Amino acid sequence: MNKVDGAAVLPPDLRDDTDDTHFVPAPCQIACPVGTDAPSYIAHIWEGDFKAAFEAIYATNPFSSICGRVCDAPCEPACRRTSSDGPIAIRNLKRFVMDELGRDMHLPVVKVTRSQTIAIVGSGPAGLTAAQDLAEAGFEVHVYEMTDRLGGMMVWGIPAFRLPPGIIHEDIDRMLKHCPGIKIHFNTELGRDITLEELKARHNAVLLTIGAWWGKPMNIPGEDDERVVDGVSFLRRINEGARPNLPETVVVVGGGDVAMDACRVAKRLSGCKEVKVIYRRGPDEIPARRDELEGALKEGIEFLYYTQQVSIKPTYNGLAVGCIQTSLGEREDDGRLAPVALPGTEHDINCGMVIAAVGQVGACEELQRCGMMAGDRVRAEYSNMRTDDHRVFAAGDGAFGGSTIVIAMQHGHRAAYYVKAFLEGQQSPMPYRTPFRTRRVPVAQDLMWEKLARFEHVFHGLGHDPIAFPEIESTYDYETARQEAARCYRCDAETGSADYGVQHREDIFAMARTDTKDHVGNQFMLKKRLGPRENPFPEGRPGCLDDLVFLPANLSRLVIDPYREACSVNTDLAGRLSLQQSIISTGFDEVHEVVRHAVSLGLEDRNCPYLGVSPIGNRIDWLQVLSEDSDCPSAEAAGFFRLFGDNCQEVSAKPAYENQISGIILSSTRVLHDSIPFALRAGFDALLLDGSGAFGLPWSEIGRAPDLTMLRDTVNILRDLGAEEQIELIYFGGIRSGTDVAKIIGLGANAVVLGVPIGLAAGGEIIDNNTLGFVADRDTEDRRQAVSNILDATAGEASMMARCTGKTNLHNVEPEDLSALTLATRDATGVALVGTD
Amino acid sequence: MPRGAEIIDRLAPIAELPSVFYEAFPMALIDLKETPVREANELIRQYGAVGEDVEIVNPDARHHLGVGLTEEISVRIRGSAGYFCAGLTDGAYFEVDNNVGWGVGDNIYRGTVVVRGNAGAIPGVAIRGAEIIIHGNMGSRAGQVMKSGTLCCAGNANFMAGYMMYGGRIIILGDSGENVGEDMSAGDIYVAGKLLSVGSDAVQVDVLPSELDSIMEFLDRYELKAKRGDFKKVNNAGKKLRYGKTEQQVRSIPFHTFSGKCDYWGPKVQEDVWVKSQIGRYRIRGYGGARTLPHLSDLAFRSDLSTIGDDPHVVSKVSMNTRIGGKHGANPLDLSMPVLIAPMSYGALSRSTKQAIGIASSLSGIAENTGEGGMSDAQRDAADQLIFQCLGGRLGWNIHDMKRANALEIYISQGAKPGFGGQLMAKKVTKELAEIRGIPEGIDLRSPSRHPDILGADDLVIKVQEFREATGYRLPISIKLGAGRIHDDIKIALKDGFDFVELDGMQGSTGAGGAEVMEYVGIPTISAIVGALDGLAEIDCAGEIQIVLMGGLRDGIDAVKALCLGADAVAFGTSAIIAGGCIACMQCHVGQCVTGIATQDPDHEKRYNVSVEARNIHRFLEVVRWQIAAITNALGYKNVTSLCRDDLVALTPEAAEITRLAYEPGYRDSDRNFSESVGLG
Repeated sequence: MNKVDGAAVLPPDLRDDTDDTHFVPAPCQIACPVGTDAPSYIAHIWEGDFKAAFEAIYATNPFSSICGRVCDAPCEPACRRTSSDGPIAIRNLKRFVMDELGRDMHLPVVKVTRSQTIAIVGSGPAGLTAAQDLAEAGFEVHVYEMTDRLGGMMVWGIPAFRLPPGIIHEDIDRMLKHCPGIKIHFNTELGRDITLEELKARHNAVLLTIGAWWGKPMNIPGEDDERVVDGVSFLRRINEGARPNLPETVVVVGGGDVAMDACRVAKRLSGCKEVKVIYRRGPDEIPARRDELEGALKEGIEFLYYTQQVSIKPTYNGLAVGCIQTSLGEREDDGRLAPVALPGTEHDINCGMVIAAVGQVGACEELQRCGMMAGDRVRAEYSNMRTDDHRVFAAGDGAFGGSTIVIAMQHGHRAAYYVKAFLEGQQSPMPYRTPFRTRRVPVAQDLMWEKLARFEHVFHGLGHDPIAFPEIESTYDYETARQEAARCYRCDAETGSADYGVQHREDIFAMARTDTKDHVGNQFMLKKRLGPRENPFPEGRPGCLDDLVFLPANLSRLVIDPYREACSVNTDLAGRLSLQQSIISTGFDEVHEVVRHAVSLGLEDRNCPYLGVSPIGNRIDWLQVLSEDSDCPSAEAAGFFRLFGDNCQEVSAKPAYENQISGIILSSTRVLHDSIPFALRAGFDALLLDGSGAFGLPWSEIGRAPDLTMLRDTVNILRDLGAEEQIELIYFGGIRSGTDVAKIIGLGANAVVLGVPIGLAAGGEIIDNNTLGFVADRDTEDRRQAVSNILDATAGEASMMARCTGKTNLHNVEPEDLSALTLATRDATGVALVGTD
Repeated sequence: MPRGAEIIDRLAPIAELPSVFYEAFPMALIDLKETPVREANELIRQYGAVGEDVEIVNPDARHHLGVGLTEEISVRIRGSAGYFCAGLTDGAYFEVDNNVGWGVGDNIYRGTVVVRGNAGAIPGVAIRGAEIIIHGNMGSRAGQVMKSGTLCCAGNANFMAGYMMYGGRIIILGDSGENVGEDMSAGDIYVAGKLLSVGSDAVQVDVLPSELDSIMEFLDRYELKAKRGDFKKVNNAGKKLRYGKTEQQVRSIPFHTFSGKCDYWGPKVQEDVWVKSQIGRYRIRGYGGARTLPHLSDLAFRSDLSTIGDDPHVVSKVSMNTRIGGKHGANPLDLSMPVLIAPMSYGALSRSTKQAIGIASSLSGIAENTGEGGMSDAQRDAADQLIFQCLGGRLGWNIHDMKRANALEIYISQGAKPGFGGQLMAKKVTKELAEIRGIPEGIDLRSPSRHPDILGADDLVIKVQEFREATGYRLPISIKLGAGRIHDDIKIALKDGFDFVELDGMQGSTGAGGAEVMEYVGIPTISAIVGALDGLAEIDCAGEIQIVLMGGLRDGIDAVKALCLGADAVAFGTSAIIAGGCIACMQCHVGQCVTGIATQDPDHEKRYNVSVEARNIHRFLEVVRWQIAAITNALGYKNVTSLCRDDLVALTPEAAEITRLAYEPGYRDSDRNFSESVGLG
């Protein structure tokens, strides 16, 4: 997409997301002519956020309610799940949302802000889509409609059992309320009521969206019999409200969507017992949508394939359609196999009526007169939607041939884009491209998403009172819609794998579908793939535990079977306090008593000491935190740790009783050079290295990455002093997992202090990336179990890491068992960069 | 006197057998004083082919006697045998007059081995149906990872008899040794003497009369005696076979929320803590490392590639044919380009997927690899060139499939989870899969991470030799290494006589493994190749062993960069799977893969269309070929072997430091301009 003036070429609310390195439109989105962000609305349905789903649907589709019923849904065959157990029912899900919200959803009113006006001839999906886009851009738009209803073929061509009139009104009402700048001129036919010259005189630009309104003739003898009608006229009559009596047998000629609607209407009308559809190719070639074909079959309509009509003759009580059998021959220019008549297979099909649905044409005498028609279409250039007259544009079926609602809408968007560019005086606008957006909705967390099968609507067929045209299908209930939504692969979403992120996967996927001989495709892909990636370790990324890896044992050292063999993780603090898992807990001084109690039970289960201002429970070894100048430690504490301030003032090492463990808490690398010799002199047992820099503040670990240089510098100072084994090193700050524990111990600590993970396990939630909050959503037993589980998991992980490096004791892990992935981490830890010495 | 020794005493010494015995049963005679073992083994197989029994004199405790024999003949060894006597055989009868070294009867399918003296460690290792009778005492870890058959020791057993056994029975007439049945998954251990102690996850249970009948019948058959009433039985206790709590299945969080610049306590950390606080252990998932790591994509080509690929026929202009593994005279793999399929198991992947990959590999003229867990007929038929991988659990390992393989591979570790063996969750351990692997159905299979008979470099030499002997020196033998201390490990691989190395960086993937291990154990692929080559250069052995590099390679560009850095070939695993329809949801471990790839559930597997996906994977490989050719050609070479380090520069400080290539961040911009020029922004 053009980055230079992207804003100028795209409506601002349709921001193109291709700049986003983690977004590739999903195949369904690419397949949709208007680029509907289907993955997002599907995910919103799963979340239950229907309003957001509506927004995603409506953003590019003004006829969302209609499309929920009758879109031909090119997204579905494109769905990646098609090849496993069936595509996501994307259209049905849209219908679900629109049934929930479509009637009552009002959009903000957009005012007319510009003086230029546009005439649009015809109010089908192309014309009205363009009208909305232009009205949203601030233009006043005049829609000239030759009938007394808006909607074009959507209202005149589709029978009510597929698309009830209320649904059409829903979309149109919403649009007109949203865009009061759209002025409607009913019963105004081009040529009869107004001329092109008049339109050009009244408005700054004209858009012709006249549709393909008339049935094509079959061009066979006898088709002028009054019992032969064309499909679109037949449907138009029905949609006017007519319910004629039909003869017993009706033959429908053709295999498109009009033929499907016509045959199904006929089947519902009184008098008709039998409907036969004749089609000149086979069931694999028939262009009708699968759904409709299957609906017709279920309703008892007979399909005669490989049958070509050649004549129509009156019989004594009706008509005989003279037919000949066909077989498929060579591929024609349009890519389809040509039906070839088989001589000697001539036969008659008797009936009382023939409905010919072999295609539609556009026609307009006025335009013919102006020399703007090319055959049965308005002559227009697809690349800029212009006609020969520079102020007149054309779009939709009338200009580019019979298509679908969603393609007509795409034409509308395109035309609006070029009309607007013209009115703004842009000489050569950037080519229009369907905008792709993502709303970045998280993937559905449904345990059954891989197993759930596609759920089809309940099909009612003709219903109890066929002539009343009851709807053929029901809308999903929420439960079903949610399950269907859970099935989505979410091809749009980034995965948890950097090496196989969405861009890479889509490229590999494309490579696997590119023919070796497709030189252009191969060269394009190669050049694309040659582009560099972002630096994964951008400048400013600090040294981080994540960027340390363990060197596994292989041949030069033996691995200790991680599944089975023992690797001890316990340690004795100063030879006096046994730490079963080398872990000390902290952080619950100011937490609600209910949580404190539950946590204490979990800590007790694992014999895990607690470091805090006050004890957490009677049966848990308490390591008391004391300020620099407070009184003596409590006699109830198994040990005490004094904060050591920035001013390096010496603090008291005096215990409450002999053998009480004593330590100081160091929160800054600046104090290390003074405090460490002091601690050794004063006889402290332990140094608590506070990587968070703010020990004592509630949940001080949150919102920052720990400072690893604390540990590096301390170890270096002790080494320089020749005092490495003389004092215990306990590390606090940013330890999230057993992996982190093993790394910190490998870097020289004897034990670690675990805070936030225990808090998270006990049901805490991080608030504002700054603190942890608890709510009353879990019982004591849950919290207790979670605390002992996280301790087990952390210790288990730590021992697993040690075993991978070939150690039977966690405390034997050493810096040489680690490698740094980044230079910053190398510098912060002193560990060598991977693959270097 | 121990019970076993009494029995030995009662037996007539072999030397006193009447001479009429030899006349009644004429045998072919092989004298190992004159015939080297390699030749002797060929002779044994030749006699086997004509149904003639063999007698070996002067065995002098040589290793590998009789290995690879698949004919139903008798082999009598008049003396003592060394390591792996009768190993990798099927259907033969072996009798050894004196003692055997370790690993007697290694991996026997069917057949009998009678040892009149003592046996060293791991007798009956990995047997799949043999009867092994040791009249004397036996060493430690008897019957390790055995699948079925009977291992009977008339004397005492040393510690950990039945260690990690999956099935079959061990009968010990003397004392059990300590920790009998340690971590056994299934099978039965009967001890007539003292039961010293049962091992972890093992338990003493009651013996059924029918079992005693069967034991007594067996003993009668081999003329051994024990008191019916003395037998005690040890079984698996069932505490470690399945994980206690099931880990909640969660769809993955986008990687960029926990890579690069992100919150320290981000959603991924919170999710990890939450899940672990529910299950009390490490998390398991499928796929490879999640975070961004130093990668080949941090390198760029030095030359101007703006006209790259202009020539549509570039493939015919670059020589890419590559032979791998011929170093010691075996028939090398003959590859149409320096590309292989990375080892992936039938088990982690469905049979259909392995079939599709095999077909694609054949269509593209490259080699496929079985991974752990055995070779299916479908796989063998699909792949023209197939490497057969041997892991510590010896799951699916057997002589017949070895013989029909094109190369053999000893797995030491893999990049995704070095230090771990395979991991297959119960859901995937179906009846068919359990059968091919020879294990009980429906266990959470955690294969041992260590080979029973490879405790160090010396053992590995002998193991490699055993494979060569068993397959007549026809097949290249490779070693699979997940890179860690690769600088040193590669030297051992070289000295141990391998033909090539399959070197895997930590960006490699797996069907299931500990999430933290995938993320934080091992070194990036780019470091692995540099470290390996440095190690070889250090001992003046540069170029003396071929290296196949893998782990996170995705296209021909990555492949060429790897070749420039010095790899002899590369392998694609995950990329091939993605080409064949994988959507990277990272739920491989769950076993209900939505696309039918990483599953054993027939309902899911039928979603996978073998012929369609085989063609897709083949097309991917062909595009890779085209890319390799186009780049090689654009760099000015006619042969991929000409690619060299000078063709590359590094785009990040880390990559520069790891590879010692010039740090040229400017190339990033020139490439960007270049990609913009083709409209990629």
